[in-house]
Amino acid sequence: MKCEKCKSREANTHIKKVVNGEYTELRLCSECAKALGYDNVFDLEMPDMFGGLLQSFFTGALPARSGASRCPECGSTYGDITNTGKVGCAKCYEAFYSELLPSIKRIHGSASHCGKVPLRAETLEVEVNSAENELKSLKTQLQKAIEEQNFELAATLRDKIKEMEAEK
Amino acid sequence: MSDAVIISSRVRLARNLRDYPFPNRMSTSQGEEIAEKVREVMCGKDFCGYKFMAVKMEDLSEFDRVAMVERHLISPEFAAPDSKKLLITTENEEISIMVGEEDHLRIQVIIDGFELEKAYEIADRLDTELDKKLHFAFDKRLGYLTQCPTNLGTAMRASVMLHLPALKESRTVARIAANLSKLGLVIRGAYGEDTESVGAMYQISNQVSLGISEKSAVENLRSITEQLVNSELKTRESMMQSFEYQDKIGRSYGILITARLINHKEAVRLLSNLRMGICEGLIEGVDLATVDSLMLKIQPASLMRLKGTRLSPEERDRVRAEIIRSELRPR
Repeated sequence: MKCEKCKSREANTHIKKVVNGEYTELRLCSECAKALGYDNVFDLEMPDMFGGLLQSFFTGALPARSGASRCPECGSTYGDITNTGKVGCAKCYEAFYSELLPSIKRIHGSASHCGKVPLRAETLEVEVNSAENELKSLKTQLQKAIEEQNFELAATLRDKIKEMEAEK
Repeated sequence: MSDAVIISSRVRLARNLRDYPFPNRMSTSQGEEIAEKVREVMCGKDFCGYKFMAVKMEDLSEFDRVAMVERHLISPEFAAPDSKKLLITTENEEISIMVGEEDHLRIQVIIDGFELEKAYEIADRLDTELDKKLHFAFDKRLGYLTQCPTNLGTAMRASVMLHLPALKESRTVARIAANLSKLGLVIRGAYGEDTESVGAMYQISNQVSLGISEKSAVENLRSITEQLVNSELKTRESMMQSFEYQDKIGRSYGILITARLINHKEAVRLLSNLRMGICEGLIEGVDLATVDSLMLKIQPASLMRLKGTRLSPEERDRVRAEIIRSELRPR
């Protein structure tokens, strides 16, 4: 589909808004979108939140290192997530846990849930497994970081492994 | 006392079904399947002591959909017609569930007045019952899993809608906004964008949802709201000493009951002045509920919905003035 403004470039930005009681949709190319002040799509799609900040949160995240380049469940890559600001499915949080963690910490100032827990025994079982997986994945990453002489990352990973092992 | 300042309380929970991808990765048929499941669980019988009805967004007219945005029942995003989007509500619209918004389910409870705990209690009960049938995605570390990481954890957004004309006039709102963000809360204009609100209506909500329990988030919001209410009332008291301000309120009422054409922005601004005049005992014979319902009714799509037809902006200004005159006429 062509951009509705310049009618030449391919449209890749979808804008939905309500102005004066009328619902309108616009399909624009990124250049026209930017010229019209829509360069930050997050602000428009998520008026309820502070999504506009999100992309900058993501860009500071660690590069993909867990070896799981695609989510086994929905097929999202970490790049898909940072580009759209949207996570693909519940499993993505497991698959890209270490990549997402810095962004999550920056947004919330914390990365450990406290509050309601659903009344399901099976959740616990799944949890133990996913913690095991996480530990395994971290150890692999640590090995790799050491091989690549990326000591800063290695130190961060080592601390996290320690922390997780202490929790067990 | 708090009626003068607090309009309504709202709690919203985001939930996703464990066995389906999030809305941005799901197919149309998966989306319809989820909508059908939720409908089956909630509709056609008593659910948690409430009677729910469901409507597909694609079956509604544009006025209906946009009017829902105007009365804060749904998000602008949800107003787009789409076969995956299903809205489930109680008859009075106090409780609503958007199915197929940014998350599979958005459970929302809006109650007039300062009723945060009650709103949370209802949302919590619905969530627990729904989870038994739908199995929501949850992780012990990250809490409820949501499409956008900003909602992780409790996936709860609690908010109160406040009328703060005196704090707006004294330019205190901007200063408060800076301090609130340090407490993990955010304030924004309920009509229009950012903190410069038309009609001095503001919404305060929690910004952080991971690492803080529902109970503490609600308590934080409650205590900040109480402080804001007190400082609003104190500022009003001193403001009302000035004849200039009393005159402004009297004139606003005068225009509202006599105007033949009035645009939305002007109407909201004058209704806001009138609302304060009523609360401060300057204007009698009009009750707050009438003003609050007018604020909602006179929005563009809501007007067209009321008249059942498309109206040009000029026609809307005429119809708006007519409705305001008839509802505010001294009895």
